[in-house]
Amino acid sequence: MIRYFPSIYALVSIIFVIFSYLFVDINLLYFRNFYSGISTDLRLITSLSYAIFILIFFSSYLILLKNVQTAHIKKIIIVSCLGMLLSYPAILSYDIFNYIGTSKVLFIYHENPYLQMPIEFIGDPILMFTRAANKVALYGPLWVFLSGIPYAISFGNYFVSVFVFKIFVSVFYVGIVYLIRKLTNSYFSILLFAANPLVIIETFVSGHNDVVMMFFALLAFYLLKKKQLFLAFIFLLMSALIKYATLFLIPVFIYAAFQTINNRKLNWDRIYFYCFFSMLLVFLLSIFREEIYPWYVIWPFTFLVLIPAKKKEIYLFIALTFGLMLSYIPYMYSGSYFGIYRFLRIISIFIPPVFLGIYLFFQKNFKLNK
Amino acid sequence: MAHKTNLKLLLILVFSLGIFLINQNNIVLAQSSYVLPYPSAMPGSIFYRVNLVKDELYKYWYFGDFGQFKYSLRMSDKYLVESKTLFEYKQYLLGYQALLSSDAYFSRTNPALISASEKGKNISEKKNILKEAAGKHVEELKQMKLIIPERFHWTPEKKMPTDLGLWDKIDNSINLRKKNYD
Repeated sequence: MIRYFPSIYALVSIIFVIFSYLFVDINLLYFRNFYSGISTDLRLITSLSYAIFILIFFSSYLILLKNVQTAHIKKIIIVSCLGMLLSYPAILSYDIFNYIGTSKVLFIYHENPYLQMPIEFIGDPILMFTRAANKVALYGPLWVFLSGIPYAISFGNYFVSVFVFKIFVSVFYVGIVYLIRKLTNSYFSILLFAANPLVIIETFVSGHNDVVMMFFALLAFYLLKKKQLFLAFIFLLMSALIKYATLFLIPVFIYAAFQTINNRKLNWDRIYFYCFFSMLLVFLLSIFREEIYPWYVIWPFTFLVLIPAKKKEIYLFIALTFGLMLSYIPYMYSGSYFGIYRFLRIISIFIPPVFLGIYLFFQKNFKLNK
Repeated sequence: MAHKTNLKLLLILVFSLGIFLINQNNIVLAQSSYVLPYPSAMPGSIFYRVNLVKDELYKYWYFGDFGQFKYSLRMSDKYLVESKTLFEYKQYLLGYQALLSSDAYFSRTNPALISASEKGKNISEKKNILKEAAGKHVEELKQMKLIIPERFHWTPEKKMPTDLGLWDKIDNSINLRKKNYD
């Protein structure tokens, strides 16, 4: 069965890509040929289908984790990358349009995106479908500049730029996978990150820039391990200039750098755990800022996979990523972020990890009693 | 009978006029909804110099046509409020200078919009903002004219005296804004 797994996974991924085009926005004139209206007319069916896809992806992921084989890892990563890159990006989030909008403000209109909102450029067709067009640039200046690369490559063609943006972001995903391999030399760790459905969907489908920020953060710690302190600091700074969240890593970085300067032996697993904890803190603090966005979990998860010995935490986190992917369903079903649907969204995030936590607790007690 | 009706009408008219006169201070006549900033640090304060440096740096941060429009209008607002505050404290020379700065910045707003329009940007919303701002500036300038003398003779130590035509300056400033207001 496991031999055919990459083929099955590829098939499900292709069906998911087709499924994603059911969510094309009527206002998105560049994708108008793909518009069907199914996601809004048949909400129950699309929500259930999405739930089934998520179940299949996570089941496959767990099967993979139980059967770590190097040949499969590469195949599955390639299949996931190529397959999901072709999907419609706004099935779950409109952020990619926001990235392009911000990029357009700077590189086409030659205005400061930290002062001018996309909505100020009246008549621009992207305003018909870009959400949060009434906000100035939300990300760090390095991201704003980096986003000019995919925008330039696509020669201003909006349709092309959507996919070039996704390809651009996925390069950093490959970079993270490479660094995980370098840091741990564990295929389990690579698989944990690279095959996680949330990481794959949020990166290759939605094109979120979180992997860009985490790539630079991970590179900083990799260089720190190699005792290249200055370069390490520069890359940590670059990471914070993508999305600011990695500023929370600075205390851990200073501690590790101080120990390195004084030639003291470092327990790197402990350092990664501190990093994980710092990023978990920012992730949880995001509740107070706005709400929990599923892709934010990539921040702590990137460091957690570096400590494969922390099995319990890892499985609790996998359950959390599962819950976060399920949290899209209330909106998908109702089209509302408010009232009972907001409550259901929060519930769906925490139910899987809470249940798993209870299970692990009783399992431990049961073993002790035995 | 007709005499009585005329008397009634006269009474109603007088009563209405009385109500109008009593409430005169509460009546708002076509005031602009544009909001001016609070006065910031005034000349002589150490923070004033810091703000000057900050404003100079902001000039580069506010790049682009819309950026320059926002920057110029923001600075024009700031110096107008500064001028008003200084006039209220009878600091006529400083107030006059602040008004000159406000005018200089205000005169840069429209060229920035013209430049944006030439590049294909829709400036209709910004034009409305400018119109609102000009209206508010005119309101403030008219109020300022009520609290300052027509002319002010400034005689600094060991320097040539200066004669400031304050009302003329206010009229010039109003005319500059009315070009955008009308």
